[in-house]
Amino acid sequence: MFVHSFESMAALDGKGIRFMVFLSGCPLRCVYCHNPDTQKAGGKYFTPEEIAKKASRFKPYFKNGGGVTFSGGEPLLQSGEIVSCADFLKKEGISYTLDTSLSVPLTEDVKCAIDKCESVIADLKFQSDETMEKYTGKNLENVLLNLDYIKSIKKDFILRTVVVPKLNDTLDALLSYLKIVEKYEPRYWELLPFHTMGFFKYEEGGIPNPLKDTPPMEREKLEEIKTKLREKTTIKIV
Amino acid sequence: MNAWRNFKTDTWCDTIDVRNFILNNITSYEGDKSFLEGPTDRTKKLFSKVEELFKMESEKGGVLDVDTEHVSSILSFAPGYIDKENELIFGLQTDKPLKRAVNPFAGFRNAEQACEAYGYKMSDKIRASYVYRTTHNDGVFRAYTDTMKKARHAGILTGLPDAYGRGRLIGDYRRLALYGMKRLIEEKLKDKETLGKRDMSEENIRTIEDISRQLQFMKELVQMASDYGFDITRPAENAKEAIQWLYFAYLGGQKEQNGAANSIGRISGFIDIYINRDIEEGTLDEKGAQELIDDLVIKLRMVRHLRTPEYNELFAGDPVWVTASEGGMAEDGRTLVTKTSFRVLNTLYNLGPSAEPNITVLWSEHLPKGFKDFCAEVSIDTDSIQYENDDLMRRDYGDDYAIACCVSAMKVGRQMQFFGARCNMAKLLLMTLNGGKEEKEGVQIAPVGKVFDGVLNYDEVVSAFESYSEWMARLYVNTMNIIHFMHDKYAYERLIMSFHDTEPERLMAFGISGLSVLVDSLSAIKYAKVSTIKNEEGLIVDFKTEGDFPKFGNDDDRVDEIAKWVTEKFYHQLCKTPTYRGAKHTLSILTITSNVVYGKKTGNTPDGRRAGEPFAPGANPMHGRDMEGALASLNSVAKLDYGCCRDGISNTFSITPIALGEDRDVRRENLVSVLDGYFLQDAQHLNVNVLDRQKLIDAMNDPTLYPNLTIRVSGYAVNFNKLSREKQEEVIKRTFHESM
Repeated sequence: MFVHSFESMAALDGKGIRFMVFLSGCPLRCVYCHNPDTQKAGGKYFTPEEIAKKASRFKPYFKNGGGVTFSGGEPLLQSGEIVSCADFLKKEGISYTLDTSLSVPLTEDVKCAIDKCESVIADLKFQSDETMEKYTGKNLENVLLNLDYIKSIKKDFILRTVVVPKLNDTLDALLSYLKIVEKYEPRYWELLPFHTMGFFKYEEGGIPNPLKDTPPMEREKLEEIKTKLREKTTIKIV
Repeated sequence: MNAWRNFKTDTWCDTIDVRNFILNNITSYEGDKSFLEGPTDRTKKLFSKVEELFKMESEKGGVLDVDTEHVSSILSFAPGYIDKENELIFGLQTDKPLKRAVNPFAGFRNAEQACEAYGYKMSDKIRASYVYRTTHNDGVFRAYTDTMKKARHAGILTGLPDAYGRGRLIGDYRRLALYGMKRLIEEKLKDKETLGKRDMSEENIRTIEDISRQLQFMKELVQMASDYGFDITRPAENAKEAIQWLYFAYLGGQKEQNGAANSIGRISGFIDIYINRDIEEGTLDEKGAQELIDDLVIKLRMVRHLRTPEYNELFAGDPVWVTASEGGMAEDGRTLVTKTSFRVLNTLYNLGPSAEPNITVLWSEHLPKGFKDFCAEVSIDTDSIQYENDDLMRRDYGDDYAIACCVSAMKVGRQMQFFGARCNMAKLLLMTLNGGKEEKEGVQIAPVGKVFDGVLNYDEVVSAFESYSEWMARLYVNTMNIIHFMHDKYAYERLIMSFHDTEPERLMAFGISGLSVLVDSLSAIKYAKVSTIKNEEGLIVDFKTEGDFPKFGNDDDRVDEIAKWVTEKFYHQLCKTPTYRGAKHTLSILTITSNVVYGKKTGNTPDGRRAGEPFAPGANPMHGRDMEGALASLNSVAKLDYGCCRDGISNTFSITPIALGEDRDVRRENLVSVLDGYFLQDAQHLNVNVLDRQKLIDAMNDPTLYPNLTIRVSGYAVNFNKLSREKQEEVIKRTFHESM
């Protein structure tokens, strides 16, 4: 598996304490990407067994529901290897979560990687083909096909949307996501404020930063929008 | 009144055995924090006076007042009060709160310089009384060899307790409350009689003299208590008296000795038994119980010693290490957590966050959930507590041990420690490469050996390092033997030792600093290409390091094995040289805040660290080199073998609140998981800070923003504002585990 980096102590991407495996390579080029250094394929290679072995070193910390989270980049680009890794993890009694944009074709490997995971953190970056293409380079087709599959097998999942000033930071913009959100009924819909803490990665990597003049999303403003959204839907919003 | 009414009797009645008393009478508490009470108006009023004094002290540059007329001792000051009518627990070190006393027993010059540093002059009266008197420091320097002096001057051996009290002792102060001084004196007299029947070997004579010295001060303590209006010859009859007696015993020790880190021990389970009895008898309620604990803690926050600026360089923030050990499990499987453990932690809310007492939670996988949760919450809110692995230490020290200083475990009243500062291992490597010469001034300290040149070969370096560390270990033990021989002779802790068994087991606690620098340097030599750079005199002053190498702190066995090997090797080398009074060799990986000073005294190292840059504290990986996050870093440290480091392995962990989880409940749960996970791997110690780096930067730039900002540094906590700018910057530079 091609790995960009590891983070042994993460608490935001799944239950309990997470061992994050950031896999390299991503089919999208989101304008607000905060890990642009993971977009390119390549990185250091580890066998699925080596990854599982590394993860097993953190088992003592997984008591309150913790485990591995495959993130990236786009982890599902390496679905086949995630599936092999899943077997090694299972032997160790470790579960895993997928943190994915779902922008990959729904292959047998992808299905299998989803089948074996404990839960999925799925991005719903934009709500229409047009905006999706404009800001990420790909349309919604694969995302929706994958969500259909997740729903069909009743896999636990949540949806995540990054709220970016000027792109989707109004009540109206977010209301237009509701049609999709309500169709798939995630455990909850998480709205994350855009931040600029990943900007240095663009500079270090010499990658052009399309949002370099965009300020961070104000948390108070986002909270206000969330409150109003909650009046419009029964889906839990966090 | 019968002091022991309603207590379950057992062997503790016939022999001095506080542990047996506790195990027979303790009420474990498995519930949550909901029973706790806030501060009473009396507590608030009293503490606001103390806070006012703290403020004045800080405005005066850290020392409120110094008495230059009297030498500190148990009876040299009249009783002192904060506000006599409103105090519940009495006793101050001098006649006025926060006034510091002069204590020249361990070193006269040192005491004199400490006075001068704060604009005071030692009185002629004290000076005259010391003209014909030998101090500990005088004695040590009569016996030091030239090599010892050189190693000390170069800073390879640093922080040696040869000019101030050695400290790190824990008297079993509970004995005074349980038995009363009359009984304790009788027991000592019995011991003296027994020893008198043996052949008069040097050791036996010394022990008999020890008892005589103890007896003198036991009597003085009776007088001191009587001056405050209490009769401590009899046992304590209720909770208030038990706390008062115990505190008097501790206070007497602090008056007699200025050693760093003479800690208070493991007291809350003991006190809890008295509180429970009072509550059952209807003479105390929860508010009253909390008030007593609050009052004791106020007193413990006021302990002060007069220090030189050099001392403050090593141990920043004016620490005393009134370390109080909480929690843990009994050998029979019961928890030793009581409601009073909660009450002690609750003082951090009632009186605000604080560095002292140094609250140390003895963590076990089996601690009740309610207590684990409360500890994690208190850590997140106050950054004022540290954690040590009870499941690990109980194997060696049983279930009535306590922590002195930061990480030093000992059986309360049954073991004592000869504190041994530390050896700078990074500097030892540089000395090895330079064939026994110190790298900064080029002085030949160790025997002449091969001076390395060109590209360093790992096996050759390791073999040379082994012989120099063998030489160093012997020098170190022998230096310590002189120091403690002289300390026993000229600055024996008469009162503190009277609260120990007459023939305690002795531990000699050695230490190492710069572990991660040494280990990463060896890793660089092994896995990258390191060549020497010499100055005109042929002294290696720098290195060219090409290529990457594994670094300590990433859970990578290639380098973590080197760390294990280095500590185990050095420990076994230390054990080869016999110790004074047959003490057992122990080793710690702990630097307190002296990692900054050690770094200052150490040249460029092969790991790429520049000359003068601070080391990482304790066993921590070097700042910014742990690339795989907090838990990988913890796992590396957890690999170090406590069997070779029975005096402790200190690790400081700083994490931002958001990296720990989204909300309070998640953070608490995750912190509990981190502690459980770390200690399940037989790790020993973890300092926990949950805070944002930005908060520290703001506090550094404007100290008035967070006047009580407390942070854990290395086995203890400090008020951030009491650190020098240099140390504040070093703390800010340390790895904060953040989330993106």
